[in-house]
Amino acid sequence: MDEAHTNASGDDKHHDLIIVGAGPAALTAAIYTTREDIDTLLIERGVVGGLAAVTDKIDNYPGFPDGIEGLELSNNLRKQAERFGAVIELGEVMSITDEGEYKKLETTDGDMYAKAVLLATGSDYKKIGVPGEAEYYARGVHYCATCDGAFYRDKKLVVVGGGNSAVQESIFLTRFASHIDLLVRSTIKASDVLQQDLQKFVDEGKITVHLGTATDEIVGENNVVTKVVGIQDGKKVEFPTDGVFVFVGLMPNSQFLANSGVKLDKIGFVETDNRLETAVKGVYAAGDIRSGATMQIASAAGEGATAALMIREHLEGREHAMPN
Amino acid sequence: MPKNITIFTTNTCAYCGMVKQYLSAKGHSYEVVNLDDNPERQAEAMALSGAMTVPVTVVTKQDDSQEVIVGWNLAKLAPAVA
Repeated sequence: MDEAHTNASGDDKHHDLIIVGAGPAALTAAIYTTREDIDTLLIERGVVGGLAAVTDKIDNYPGFPDGIEGLELSNNLRKQAERFGAVIELGEVMSITDEGEYKKLETTDGDMYAKAVLLATGSDYKKIGVPGEAEYYARGVHYCATCDGAFYRDKKLVVVGGGNSAVQESIFLTRFASHIDLLVRSTIKASDVLQQDLQKFVDEGKITVHLGTATDEIVGENNVVTKVVGIQDGKKVEFPTDGVFVFVGLMPNSQFLANSGVKLDKIGFVETDNRLETAVKGVYAAGDIRSGATMQIASAAGEGATAALMIREHLEGREHAMPN
Repeated sequence: MPKNITIFTTNTCAYCGMVKQYLSAKGHSYEVVNLDDNPERQAEAMALSGAMTVPVTVVTKQDDSQEVIVGWNLAKLAPAVA
């Protein structure tokens, strides 16, 4: 981890609250708890800001009439949380054990203890699970347009997916690519506004949308991706390409919760009650990791605020039921 | 302590910011090669990393041996710059 964060008594292992993750839900919660002088430590294994940080443009987060780059929004959230004393340490939580008053978190920097834990680890992009995908990972198959798009100047690309991320990132990739084939298994699920934006690039000939096209295989030669094989109307269709970007949905970052007592749904998202508390008393969840989450940054921030208030009540020993 | 550190980045890469923040917090200076500004150096980054991605962090040790860390990988970066 980066630097040891100590609580008021100088103990860097015991805290009132440990937040696992540092995305919008986590940072919002930290803004609330640190403003209440709750000793709060955030532990992040990936990127501060989570998936929001690697999203090109965010147009639906309130307060930004012209939209905002995901990285800028993430940096702003981080600065705001740090302004009130939030400390983000880099590391990974491997397991959580309920030991009564304190929860034990096994981390890459040793065991840590907290009276309350907020799970805000979010989600990552799913893999398609087709031949060639793993073989060409980062060498032609990518999951982060803002990271890897620059390697495809004046080249042809395939983007797989039909949701908001696939459409948003396809539009971003037109900055670099000469042409993009967007392979959509069924129909476009992106918002109307994004679909209208997409249409402009379709009209310009920069993006071609292939509806009803399942991705079957990613093929390469001499260590380089050369084409994607799709299935359309039961027939194989080939899409010559220099690279593939995949945005086919999200999977929860909840593997570390096995044997924790935290109840997961059948996909692996964390189940909570209406106070955002999990099956383990004192352990809460907010944002994309939560079962039933809407996978929106604004929702994650709202859940972060709600969780912070519930955690404050828990720490003060004055919990009461929320109305249904 | 490494002899020098070079990070290949792009303007929009969030993970690159994590590498920079980590190295700064540890008191390391580093050179940045921004591939948006210097696209002619993409081939160099790819040759070093074997991948088409950033960040690529090249740590040159005191004995001039090099360690290349692909992506934001704290488990590899931390010991490489220790």
